[in-house]
Amino acid sequence: MTKSLLALLYAAALTPPALAHHSAARFDLTIRDHTVTGIVKEFHPANPHTKIVLEIADDKGKRDVEFEGHSLNNYYRAGWREGMVKLGDKITLYAAPTKDGTDGGYALEVVAADGTRF
Amino acid sequence: MLVRTHLWGQFMRESWLSARSAVALGGLLLAGVAAAARPDFTGVWGVYREPGAAAPQRGAPQPALPLKPEAKAKIDAYHALVDKSGDTPGGFCLGTGMPGSMLGSGGYPMEIVQHDKMLVVVYEAHTEVRHIYLGERAKEQDLFPDRNGYSFGRWEGDKLIVETTHLKEAVDQARYPHSDQAKIVEEYRLVSNDDGSKVLIANMTLTDPAFYTQPIKSEKKWQYQPGVRLLPYECTEPAWEAHLEELANKKGAH
Repeated sequence: MTKSLLALLYAAALTPPALAHHSAARFDLTIRDHTVTGIVKEFHPANPHTKIVLEIADDKGKRDVEFEGHSLNNYYRAGWREGMVKLGDKITLYAAPTKDGTDGGYALEVVAADGTRF
Repeated sequence: MLVRTHLWGQFMRESWLSARSAVALGGLLLAGVAAAARPDFTGVWGVYREPGAAAPQRGAPQPALPLKPEAKAKIDAYHALVDKSGDTPGGFCLGTGMPGSMLGSGGYPMEIVQHDKMLVVVYEAHTEVRHIYLGERAKEQDLFPDRNGYSFGRWEGDKLIVETTHLKEAVDQARYPHSDQAKIVEEYRLVSNDDGSKVLIANMTLTDPAFYTQPIKSEKKWQYQPGVRLLPYECTEPAWEAHLEELANKKGAH
């Protein structure tokens, strides 16, 4: 086994699972009025951050886009309750966009299908 | 606005005067009165905000710290690693540690359960738990470094004084990084707002001769939140689920 392969394996062993890695640094949190509407493909309220995947159709075409959101606890205190967002729902996110303009964003606020906001 | 000492303070002083006159009746009686005069910090506490004050701005510039050059070099090296990605301990489900936990814990509430010989402080974020021992101090050989250290407290009138030692070096503290030589003294007291609601004030002094040229002082206010319950803060479950999925995929591949 080469030294470089050993180094690669060592680095991989030190890398935590991807889902444990959260950072808001890639989002422009100064933009708070940007909205995105789509169909819910995934909605995982979690700590430290929630994962939301929406099917979005715009001039770039139809695709699934992943968003990061507040913690489960913060959404709960803002009014979210279990079952409020279901797969297939059409929801809107007030989402701070990515700094580099790629798909995704940080969901500052969620507008559920029935209009409930949290 | 905080304008007057909480009634507990007045009650305590009166009780203390009563206790002084009762010394002749015996130490046991005195101890009982003094214990009864202590304020009760038990309950859920949220971040206090002055009435009408705007929400604090995330990432607002902070005054420079009186760091020693070698400490600054360590902290700069840490930030060179993480600033671009924005990685934080909390993003990796690691608790804040002292003094970040007692100075805000990410804006989440905390719960205090007060006993005669110990206070238990639970910070909702990452379900961090601190035990503040009031009875017998642990033996030195039984202690080891931890992100929240070992906390031993005492009552001075209506104030709770807490000394925390045995901290791990923590260059990843968001506001006040420190070495493993750091000692943190907290002074807690209860006051009341004009509307009678309770506010807990914590004054913190961080002394760390390895990192700082002078002690660091900070104040934190907590608002009593009756009726609020602390929520669980499960953070690592997605990583476990991802691991199970990875195992299942590997098994399916064979």
